[in-house]
Amino acid sequence: MSEDKTQIKINFFTKEDDESIKVSDAPLYVPVSLKRYGLSEVVNHLLGNAGEDEDSKPIPFDFLIDGALLRTSLQDYLTKNGLSNEAYLSLEYTRAVLPPSFLASF
Amino acid sequence: NLQLNDLNDDAPIELETARELWRKSELATQELASGLCEQLRLILEPTLATKLRGDYKTGKRLNMKRIITYIASEFRKDKIWLRRTKPSKRQYQIMIAVDDSKSMSESKSTELAYHSIALVSKALTQLESGGLSIVRFGEDIKVVHPFDKPFNNQETGSRIFQWFDFQQTKTDIKQLCAKSLKIFEDARATSNSDLWQLQIILSDGVCEDHETIQRMVRKAREEKIMLVFVVIDGINSNESILDMSQVSYVPDPNTGAMNLKVDKYLDTFPFEFYVVVRDINELPEMLSLILRQYFSEMASA
Ligand SMILES: [Mg+2]
Repeated sequence: MSEDKTQIKINFFTKEDDESIKVSDAPLYVPVSLKRYGLSEVVNHLLGNAGEDEDSKPIPFDFLIDGALLRTSLQDYLTKNGLSNEAYLSLEYTRAVLPPSFLASF
Repeated sequence: NLQLNDLNDDAPIELETARELWRKSELATQELASGLCEQLRLILEPTLATKLRGDYKTGKRLNMKRIITYIASEFRKDKIWLRRTKPSKRQYQIMIAVDDSKSMSESKSTELAYHSIALVSKALTQLESGGLSIVRFGEDIKVVHPFDKPFNNQETGSRIFQWFDFQQTKTDIKQLCAKSLKIFEDARATSNSDLWQLQIILSDGVCEDHETIQRMVRKAREEKIMLVFVVIDGINSNESILDMSQVSYVPDPNTGAMNLKVDKYLDTFPFEFYVVVRDINELPEMLSLILRQYFSEMASA
C-alpha cells in the first residue's frame, strides 16, 4: 500500500465565544489529505470529544482559510492557491451550519 | 576568480546582497565563533590523543605482554617499553547541511539560519580540524562548498550565502541523508588517514516520514558518520516546535479501523542527537553539549 505521507503545519482558531469549543493555537502537523471531516475529527480529539455519552459527542465543524470555506482537501487547497506544503496554514473553525447528511459528502 | 563566478551564476541571490548578509552575520557572531572554537577544541582534541605503542628499550610504561619473554630470554629481549607515538593522523570532515526550504522563511528562521552558518563555519575554520563542506537541501541537494576548497575569507562566506533564499517547496531530508552518506563514503574512499565524519544539520526540523529517516540515521551511525541536528526554532512563541503536535492514524489491531492519534512532534523526531535553538547566543553552548554527549556515547559504545 503506497500512502501519501505528505504533511503540513497548521493551527486552529475560532472566533466563536463558546469557551468549551476552543483549542490551543499550537502548531499541528497533519496529513494534507485531510478534508472537513478529518479536520473536524482532529478538533474534536483536541477537545476531548471522542466518547459516546451526550457531553462528549463530536461536534461537526466547518473550516475556513482566509475567510473562505474549505470545500476540498488541504492538498487541493494548496494546489489551487499555488502553495506547497511548506506553508503554515491558519484554519478557522465554526460549528457546522449544514445538515450532517450534506456534510458527509465533503 | 572566473571559475567561481561562473559557478555562482545560477545562485538565487546577488553577490552584493549576499556580501551584506554575510557581513551582518559575521559581525553578529564574531565573539561567539571564537568561544565555540575553543569549546570544540576541548571536545575534539582528546579524540586526537596519542597512543602508547611498543616495543622500545626505554619508554613510559611497561608492555606487560613482553615481560614473560624478557625473563625467559634471560633479560636479552629487552624491548619491553611502550612509548607515546606521534599523534594519529586523524582528520575531521565536517559537513554543515542547511535547510533552504520555504518553511524556514514561513517560520522566520532565516536570520537565525544565516547567523548559524556563519558561526559554525567560522568556528570550524579557526579550529583547522580538516575539511569543511556546506550543503544546501530542500527539494534538491547541492554542495555549495566542497571539502577540498579552503574556507578562508568573507568572499567564501558570501558566495555560500548566495545559494540560500529559503524558497524551496520541499524538505527532503531522506534525500539529504542518502546523498550525504554517499559524499562521506566517497571522501573516505580517497582518504588514507583516519577520517572522522560529522554532519551538522541546520533546519526548522519539520519533516515527514520519521520512520524512514530514522533507518537512515541508524545506517549513518553504523558507518561511523555522526549526525547532529540543530533545530532552529522560530521566533514566534506560538509556533515553537516544542509545542507542535503530530496527527497520525494507526490501525486498530482488532477491527483494522484507522484511529486518530495526536503525539508531541518531537517524540518521534528521527535524530538521536538534536538540540533546539531559539537564539544565536545559545548555539555554541548547545552544540558543544550535544557533541560532548555524542563523543561520550561513542566512547562507551
Ligand atoms: Mg521545510
